[in-house]
Amino acid sequence: MNNLSTLHIDALTEVFNVGAGRAALSLSEIVGDEVRISVPSVQIIKSDEINSVVLSLNSGRFGAVSQHFSGPFNAEAMLLFTEEQALKIVRDMMGSQMSIEELAEFENEAMCELGNIILNACLSAMADILNISLESSLPNYTVASADEILQRIREDSNQPYVLVLHIDLAIEKRHTAGNLVFLLSSASLINLVTHINRFLGTIS
Amino acid sequence: MSIPEVNRFDMQDVLNAIKLGLIIVDTDGKILLWNDWIAKHSGIEEADAFNQQLENVFSEPISPTFLTAIKNTLTYGLPVILSTALHRAPLPLYDTSETNQAQTRMHQSITMMPIRSQLNEPCCLIQVTDSSTSIKREKMLRFHSDILKKQATTDSLTGICNRRFFDEHYKMALADAKRQKHLLSIFMVDIDFFKQYNDHYGHLKGDEIIKLVANTLKSQLSRGTDIVARYGGEEFVVVMPYLPQKIAEQFAEKLRNAIFNLAIPHIKSDASHQLSISVGFCTGIPDIDDDMLKKADEALYLAKQQGRNQCVSIPPYETLPELSIDVFMNKL
Repeated sequence: MNNLSTLHIDALTEVFNVGAGRAALSLSEIVGDEVRISVPSVQIIKSDEINSVVLSLNSGRFGAVSQHFSGPFNAEAMLLFTEEQALKIVRDMMGSQMSIEELAEFENEAMCELGNIILNACLSAMADILNISLESSLPNYTVASADEILQRIREDSNQPYVLVLHIDLAIEKRHTAGNLVFLLSSASLINLVTHINRFLGTIS
Repeated sequence: MSIPEVNRFDMQDVLNAIKLGLIIVDTDGKILLWNDWIAKHSGIEEADAFNQQLENVFSEPISPTFLTAIKNTLTYGLPVILSTALHRAPLPLYDTSETNQAQTRMHQSITMMPIRSQLNEPCCLIQVTDSSTSIKREKMLRFHSDILKKQATTDSLTGICNRRFFDEHYKMALADAKRQKHLLSIFMVDIDFFKQYNDHYGHLKGDEIIKLVANTLKSQLSRGTDIVARYGGEEFVVVMPYLPQKIAEQFAEKLRNAIFNLAIPHIKSDASHQLSISVGFCTGIPDIDDDMLKKADEALYLAKQQGRNQCVSIPPYETLPELSIDVFMNKL
């Protein structure tokens, strides 16, 4: 936990902004319009200290796309948007050409894809910049309340650290904020720090 | 000696029997696996696809996102999803059971997974499912749910809106009128001496009369904003926004006349010897505490008290004791 200096956080922020840029590019191709994604801040906290303020979770339901990934460090990555915002993003992306746009099953699948694009972009940026290779499960989409999400994060005693990325996503005129959460074990956090140190070593 | 489970089946047979499209390409985009499902829906035999470049094997173009996704899967070893909603049909695949010539591409859900060959070559496994069936199923469910929704809000005898629908509609219409301070009119309608009609002419005739009255009232409405609902046994309610007092009074009369002019004999009616209705209504801009339905019901009570076959109105803000003077009345 204390191993992460401002320098580490800055490096991670840079890595994830590269990822966000890649995700935006992929999404623009699909939407056919400009998509902007940025990661204004990265935080690392103990999972038992996580609360609804950190994740800016208010009341209501949230759409969560999660992927487990493994490599030099393992983590569960979870992308969180309010369900309402998630649906709006997906509907914007689908545009009006789809006659099936109101069908729930396809919205879920599209949400999975949106999450997959953002998560993969962040993971691939990490892989490129930190010079590592990562494997990942297929994304899974669930809808849950803020309490259920917090409980899921806190209960996982194997992964006591949480890396929180605040994400700003703008598709056409709609502006949305979400969070990308990485649940990390102590060993994984140490390995992550080692890789960041190696990266910082190469550029200094 | 038993055969080990793994070798019991030829994997090629399994891959070809499966109801899922499977393609494997290597890092050069060369096709290493092309199962029967893909062959059937693309119209391209395995022999013609094997070892060919995926981009060149189809006579129609493949979507660029699809090719980028393969590249990403191969470069980073991360799985990729291409959803039906966002991509619809990246590959030129068709439903072979459709006979018409002008075919449209099959809706597809695609998953790409990194996979390694036995020679440790990084490859990309592409799985394609036909989502047309899911779309059909969802549409069917939606269709059924629409029917059920309609049934849940329709009165089975008359086909007009039922009480459940009215309760919801009234709540919203009243809240709307209060918020936007616009005019709202509620008309309560009761068939005069309906019990006597039933007793004399029988229940089947009674049901017919209820249907006839319901449809006659409904035919008086022409705007999309207006509704008529069956409130109870022989009671109906009409909700109409934006009617000035004078027009509301005329409309109440119009309803009464419409039924009276049917000239249905009702020899047990003390109001007249033909079928008639009493109308109580409340019209105006409701204040925050006003319950216009209650007022319309009080007006209906007055109309009955005063001899039926007539229309009585009470403004939203007045209470019963004061109104005996101001009552709008229209006797025959």
